[in-house]
Amino acid sequence: MKVTIVTFRDIFQSEAQEVDRFGEDYRRMSAVVFLDKSDAAKAGIKDGSNVLVESDNGRVVVVARISEDTHPGLAFMPNSPWSNQLVPAKTDDTRIPSYKSISATISVTDDKIPTVEDLLRELVS
Amino acid sequence: MAVCTGCSLLCDDIEVSIDGRRITKTKNLCRKGFGRYRSLASDRSVPRVDGRQAGIEEAISRAAEMLRNAKRPLLFGWSCSTLEAQRKGIELARRTKAIIDDTSSICQGEIMDMVIRKDIPTCTLDDVRNYGDTLIFWGCDPSSSHPRHMSRFSYFPRGEKLQRGHEEDRTAFLIDIRTSPTAKILAGNFIQISPGGDADLIEAMLAVLDGKIPRVRDKKAMISMMNRLKKADMGVIFPGLGLAYSLKGRMDRMKALVDRLNETTRYNVIPMVGHYNMRGFNQLLFDETGFINRVSFADGVDHGPVYSVVEASKSCDLALVVGSDPISSLPAGIAKALAGVPMITLDPHRTLTTELSRVVIPTALSGIEAGGSALRMDGVRIEFDPIVKSEYPSDEEVLSKILEEI
Amino acid sequence: MVSAMEIYQLTPKLNCKKCGLPTCMAFAVALLAREKQIEDCTPLLEPKYEAKLKKLREVMAPIAGATETGLVIHEDRCYGCGNCVVACPVNVANDPKGSAIGLGPKSDRVILVVEDGVVRCLNPKECRRFGPNRILCNLCTATCPSKAIEFV
Ligand code: SF4
Ligand code: SF4
Ligand code: SF4
Ligand code: SF4
Repeated sequence: MKVTIVTFRDIFQSEAQEVDRFGEDYRRMSAVVFLDKSDAAKAGIKDGSNVLVESDNGRVVVVARISEDTHPGLAFMPNSPWSNQLVPAKTDDTRIPSYKSISATISVTDDKIPTVEDLLRELVS
Repeated sequence: MAVCTGCSLLCDDIEVSIDGRRITKTKNLCRKGFGRYRSLASDRSVPRVDGRQAGIEEAISRAAEMLRNAKRPLLFGWSCSTLEAQRKGIELARRTKAIIDDTSSICQGEIMDMVIRKDIPTCTLDDVRNYGDTLIFWGCDPSSSHPRHMSRFSYFPRGEKLQRGHEEDRTAFLIDIRTSPTAKILAGNFIQISPGGDADLIEAMLAVLDGKIPRVRDKKAMISMMNRLKKADMGVIFPGLGLAYSLKGRMDRMKALVDRLNETTRYNVIPMVGHYNMRGFNQLLFDETGFINRVSFADGVDHGPVYSVVEASKSCDLALVVGSDPISSLPAGIAKALAGVPMITLDPHRTLTTELSRVVIPTALSGIEAGGSALRMDGVRIEFDPIVKSEYPSDEEVLSKILEEI
Repeated sequence: MVSAMEIYQLTPKLNCKKCGLPTCMAFAVALLAREKQIEDCTPLLEPKYEAKLKKLREVMAPIAGATETGLVIHEDRCYGCGNCVVACPVNVANDPKGSAIGLGPKSDRVILVVEDGVVRCLNPKECRRFGPNRILCNLCTATCPSKAIEFV
């Protein structure tokens, strides 16, 4: 399924980040993507299943959640090291990264959600 | 009364009960601010040099040595430090002929530049509370990012001219992509746009102001909003990250709209700065160099996109990171470049950046363990004293020592 | 949230008036309004109504923390934003130098305060929804971004 990913800030996730960015709470609240109900149904994605999100820049496994509100074609992710796997490293003249409009595809996966440590290992590999 | 450094509202009405070094009870802190106070006791960073534990003194000396030997250092972060520490940081950048940049470079820099240069009118949040009768939250979700914004200043409180508060005296519009928690409160005045739709919306608003028919689906709603906006005694626009990213490179369109609105009545702009003292850094650097961010001291003062953290992460040979976690907040591809550079990091907490740093210097949490001053999102200076004793030095103290040793 | 009808279904339906009310339906309404306690219906405590009693306690549990006004706070959802604190007309009237102007409360006669990052209810009896002259005020719930306050 093709979507545009828009990142956002969530207060519970911000709180978890303040307290411990290596903690399980922070991962649980960060490694998620919120999908439109009918989009998810069409793609056969259930609430709570792991999904692989891929952009031109990178890929990351997160858990899928179905939004209460409708937003076909859009998927929302809390801003975090997980969403940052997808943000293009290439920027335009402004040198401001495009954090809030990322083209991506989403598919169901059996792969595990990476921990912060996994993401760090990836960075230095 | 204590001050919260959880966001750029710098709430200064916080009541705290303390037992030794432990915080036992707080009043008036929002959930986010309470998280910051709680972090006093969680996951603090430890001093490290070249991958092993060390004393703070040793870490400082090693940092000074690395900075002395660097040819093209990048000094980055700054938005979570006091004005006093930032001043030392700018001095250190001069002395080491470094590139200095802050987080505004990857978020609100463009609009903050206009505000600080006075290209766009602004006012204080106290003015908003007293006189701001028409508000536009644009590409932001204050309930989540600045939880007390609407209750302390912008929408709910009574003000000098606005005795009846939000029910009768104020109108607030929200422009955003997502039906955010703030959209739930302002449901009746929520203008939902699609990603990148901000520029078109501005053109439509300008068209109505010029008496033309706007090219939008709901013409009636647009015209009635513009009629309301024109009736403002004092209007205030709060641009957030949504606008910053959607309108990057075209922020002059925002200025065009604000200028046009100001032909009819008074409109001000206060960017929704995230970190507690980003505006402070931008103001200080501007006062010293004429630029708010992205400055190189390699040869006098130079400024430009090549000195942005995004570019400098790839070109520097050393990075000093102060109170920021760029490894977490930069796009992974750029974080990867930065991870390949030797890093010195000052932070109260363990972060992704400290994990990858050669030298880690733990510091006191400002507002709680260290005093100083900072500029609120509206430029008002807020001073604070430490409320608990700390075993850690402040950023300012560490930077002073590094300066001495260089 | 549980309705008066659901509660009625769980009463003994004897209309015996032992609870001090004319009918079991009136008792159900009073229970929901926090004016009566489950134990006020003495027949319900008899062994033969054991299952009903158990079920009634279950459905009432979520609102057990409600104050006399029926105000329930879901701390886990609360942002601590203080919108309710500043919008509550009683807070405004009793605390002109604090919550009325957006600051933390300076008077101890306010109803709502924020402590440790979440809202707390201090003086429920001051609430406009309470007492003989009550009105249907809903400013605290209408200004909340996360439905952390509810009336039952
Ligand atoms: S709104 Fe910001 S400054 Fe105020 S208490 Fe919350 S986090 Fe702290
Ligand atoms: S005491 Fe119980 S059974 Fe009797 S009228 Fe009241 S509710 Fe009904
Ligand atoms: S119902 Fe009205 S008076 Fe009662 S707490 Fe809520 S806002 Fe205050
Ligand atoms: S109950 Fe709602 S309005 Fe009140 S502080 Fe909590 S989140 Fe804010």
